Amino acid sequence: MRALDRKLFRDLWAVRGQVIAISCVLAGGIATYVMAASTLDSLQRTQARLYREFRFPELFAGVTRAPQSVAARISALPGIAAVETRVVAPANMELAGYEQPVSGQIVGLPTAPGQFNLLHLHAGRLPEPGRDREALVSDGFAKAHKLQPGFSLQVTINGRKQRLDIVGVASTPEFIYQLAPGSIVPDFKTYCIVWMNAAPLEGAFNMTGAFNQLAATLERGTRVEDAMIAVDEILGYYGGLGSHGRKDQVSHRYLSEEFKQLTIMSTMFPAIFLSVAAFLLNVVVGRLMTTQRSQIATLKAFGYSTAAIVGHFLKFTLVIVIIGTALGIAFGAWMGSGLSRLYMDVYRFPYLDYAIRAGVLQVSFTVSILAAGAGTLFAVLKAAAESPAVAMQPANPGLYRRSLFENRWLSQPTRMIIRNIERRPVKTLLSIGGIAMSTAILILGGFWGDAVDYMVFAQLRRAQLDDITVTFFQPVSTRAMYSLLSLPGVTFAEPTRSVAARFRFEQRTYRTALQGMEPGGRLRRLLNKKLERVELPEEGIILTDHLAKMLGIKTGQLLTVELLEGSRAVREVPVAGVVSEYIGVFGYMRRDTLNRFLREGDRASGAYLSVDSQAIPALYEKLKTIPAVAGSAARAQALKSFYETLAAQMLTFALFNTLLASTIAIGVVYNTVRISLSERSRELASLRVLGYTRGEVAYILLGELTILVFIAIPTGLLTGHGLAYFMATTAQTELFRVPFVIEPSTYAMAAMVVFTATVVSAFFVGRKINHLDLVEVLKARE
Amino acid sequence: MTAEAVFSANAVTKFYDMGEVRVHALRGVDLELYSGEMMVLLGPSGSGKSTLLNILGGLDRASDGTVLYRGFDITRAKDKELTQYRRSHVGFVFQFYNLIPSLTAMENVAAVTEIAKNPMKPADALDLVGLGDRLHHFPSQLSGGQQQRVAIARAIAKRPSVLLCDEPTGALDSETGIVVLEAIDKVNRELGAATAVITHNADIAGMADRVVHMSNGNVSHVDRNANRRNPKDLHW
Repeated sequence: MRALDRKLFRDLWAVRGQVIAISCVLAGGIATYVMAASTLDSLQRTQARLYREFRFPELFAGVTRAPQSVAARISALPGIAAVETRVVAPANMELAGYEQPVSGQIVGLPTAPGQFNLLHLHAGRLPEPGRDREALVSDGFAKAHKLQPGFSLQVTINGRKQRLDIVGVASTPEFIYQLAPGSIVPDFKTYCIVWMNAAPLEGAFNMTGAFNQLAATLERGTRVEDAMIAVDEILGYYGGLGSHGRKDQVSHRYLSEEFKQLTIMSTMFPAIFLSVAAFLLNVVVGRLMTTQRSQIATLKAFGYSTAAIVGHFLKFTLVIVIIGTALGIAFGAWMGSGLSRLYMDVYRFPYLDYAIRAGVLQVSFTVSILAAGAGTLFAVLKAAAESPAVAMQPANPGLYRRSLFENRWLSQPTRMIIRNIERRPVKTLLSIGGIAMSTAILILGGFWGDAVDYMVFAQLRRAQLDDITVTFFQPVSTRAMYSLLSLPGVTFAEPTRSVAARFRFEQRTYRTALQGMEPGGRLRRLLNKKLERVELPEEGIILTDHLAKMLGIKTGQLLTVELLEGSRAVREVPVAGVVSEYIGVFGYMRRDTLNRFLREGDRASGAYLSVDSQAIPALYEKLKTIPAVAGSAARAQALKSFYETLAAQMLTFALFNTLLASTIAIGVVYNTVRISLSERSRELASLRVLGYTRGEVAYILLGELTILVFIAIPTGLLTGHGLAYFMATTAQTELFRVPFVIEPSTYAMAAMVVFTATVVSAFFVGRKINHLDLVEVLKARE
Repeated sequence: MTAEAVFSANAVTKFYDMGEVRVHALRGVDLELYSGEMMVLLGPSGSGKSTLLNILGGLDRASDGTVLYRGFDITRAKDKELTQYRRSHVGFVFQFYNLIPSLTAMENVAAVTEIAKNPMKPADALDLVGLGDRLHHFPSQLSGGQQQRVAIARAIAKRPSVLLCDEPTGALDSETGIVVLEAIDKVNRELGAATAVITHNADIAGMADRVVHMSNGNVSHVDRNANRRNPKDLHW
């Protein structure tokens, strides 16, 4: 080993505490990047592969009932490559030994090998032709109930109860994300996809020779929007519910949103970490240059070139880069595979090729070298460029001046603190920035928890007060409410009417459900942002605020409402107001107004029930036997499954978050104090000789830090507030909105974690004050 | 000598274990320093004079022997007691001044008077060393000699009973060095602090009451000057 390299390793060893601290911050940045980027990359590759292998279509359309011949007409349309039709129906299910009702969809399998949405079999086999009772169930449901081929399931198909034998477990790209209508997160225990042969299903629904769903692929170069218009024109006659592209396919939509979040995570967090690491390197290397000023001069006097010296110190940085990046990749890979597993629980990919591709590694190294290089180069170049003759002289005493913030009553130690802070404004600001960022990251972590809690509170404790929601296969007369009231435990029943509708304003349209609600309803309430009740007007429509924003419509303007069922009436309706909701976007009208709009009598498509909690099991039993009931969902169960799904994720994220933020806080604080100590050890030791106690000397050293931290924490709280607001706004989609809510406890927690990190690192550096060499300061200058 | 002994060192030894080698810095030194006395410790480097001064000043501990400061055994004192001892009784002057760069001349002195029991006013201390017109200058705005005089003012402002100076002129040219020695001489006469000046410069010995010659970790001999010379008359 060359002498200079040996010096390098000894230098590194001498500042090992700081080397570790910086490596950890760097590793934090790389780890978040590797975690998010590799997960994103793996998910996207898996998605693309699944879509290809299992032939995910490009256009989707729903229709009330269209004869098979229509399919031929559609496939003859220009731009359409292939068409497949099927029957899909909602169903109520019962599983022996599981008390709660299960709802789901039954999908008819084509007789000939299908073209689209091929099934991936996890177990068992496909139903054999002609076997009417054989069925496949979705893998999430199978896993949640530990079902295997050989088990059976009671299914109510169009009011007729029937036993289906499970012959296999399957998944398919169209149901990667499975969400029961009206629920906020997937609940695999109570929601199931069932595949069975088409013939018995068509028979049961009186759909023989007809279909209610259509999928198509497009010829190259065809715009999906053009194809949608042509398809809708044909299907409109048969009760078309509007077609959509992949963009609006529910499962695809959710995945895309998730990818968007991961993209933000893979850029924003690493950027914060890496800039902090660059700053720390700058400070530490800058200090190294100062202490080695005369050594550098000596080397130059011996004939080392400036380039050789720059190279030597860059190696110092390179070692930190290698340690940090390697640690970061290892940790990131571990977190990434963990995160992927979490995703696999929610997104039903049949498999996931988790891999960290070379590209991710390249980016990791390049970015950390760039960040570290940027932090180091300036300090090194400045030191290496100094002429040896000048550099061998002792450095002049630092230039200080009176500070703006002092008065004559300040003690001398306090003056020293203030002047030191003011002397290096850039360094001070960057230190504050670093600590503030770690505070901000903690706020951001806490914000997700707060937002979710608030969402649940608003949605499930203020807006949806029913215990059980019942939906009917067909709209029924509201007299059915009396029958519901006679069921065990039911104390109140509130009818509701839901209908698919298309809303149009200017050139913008959106298709969703239009809900008819009871004026002054007790179990469902429309709320504004402040959670105050919004009353339904006699005429007019109320929109989810996000829907109004998407349509660009304001209260008082006229919205074109096109009903996609029943009367299929089109009418201009004034927008009477907006309501604040976090899941989905809907339109709301008074039920009686909607009934008139539909040109039907006093009808309901579902009901909200208030139920005595002890009677719920008995009620379930009863509901299962009522043919008209298509499904029922329990609020308590929804709440439970919501928390179960999220709690694990939230906890993991909160833990990582705290860990990462503490890394930054400790990294910045430790380095700031450590450098301060090394720069001022002579000064502090002199004071010790002059009779200052350890405590008094520690005050000078840690007082500076305390001021920085006390400025940094509020700054960080504000920054975190801003970042959370940014996250909340970017996460606004028609699928869900994240409310911008941060609880005081989150601010307090963030401040406390940073403060604790400060105290811990101050403690470690503070101990070094005890080892100040009092004799040495009487001797030569440093 | 009728004056009270401020220090009495008895058979003081000091060794440092440097790996496998034991280096003896002091080998049984006996010495006394009297109130108001000006003592110069003279000797080549490595003779042990700095080690002795550090032990007297409570910065280092003797390996063996005793050092009594007005009857208080500082070789057995606890760390806290030593800090208190330095704080109340000892004034230090360093070879490289060791001023706090972020504090002005007056504030450097105030840094010590603020923690002392019965200090002078910082301005008076600086007046005493002839820097009454440089009160608000930062170290970077002062020459080496001026910085050293600030250091002397800082050392004496607490009215110490002992003033310990380790090569106070070592970093200065002779002309400036003499100005600094004058300041030391003046405060010794006016405040009566027992003063020990370390030097390897034999010419300085003339200003002392007593000259202690050290070599090889021991006192080789002690000279007594009948007349202390004024530092103005010294030259080297």
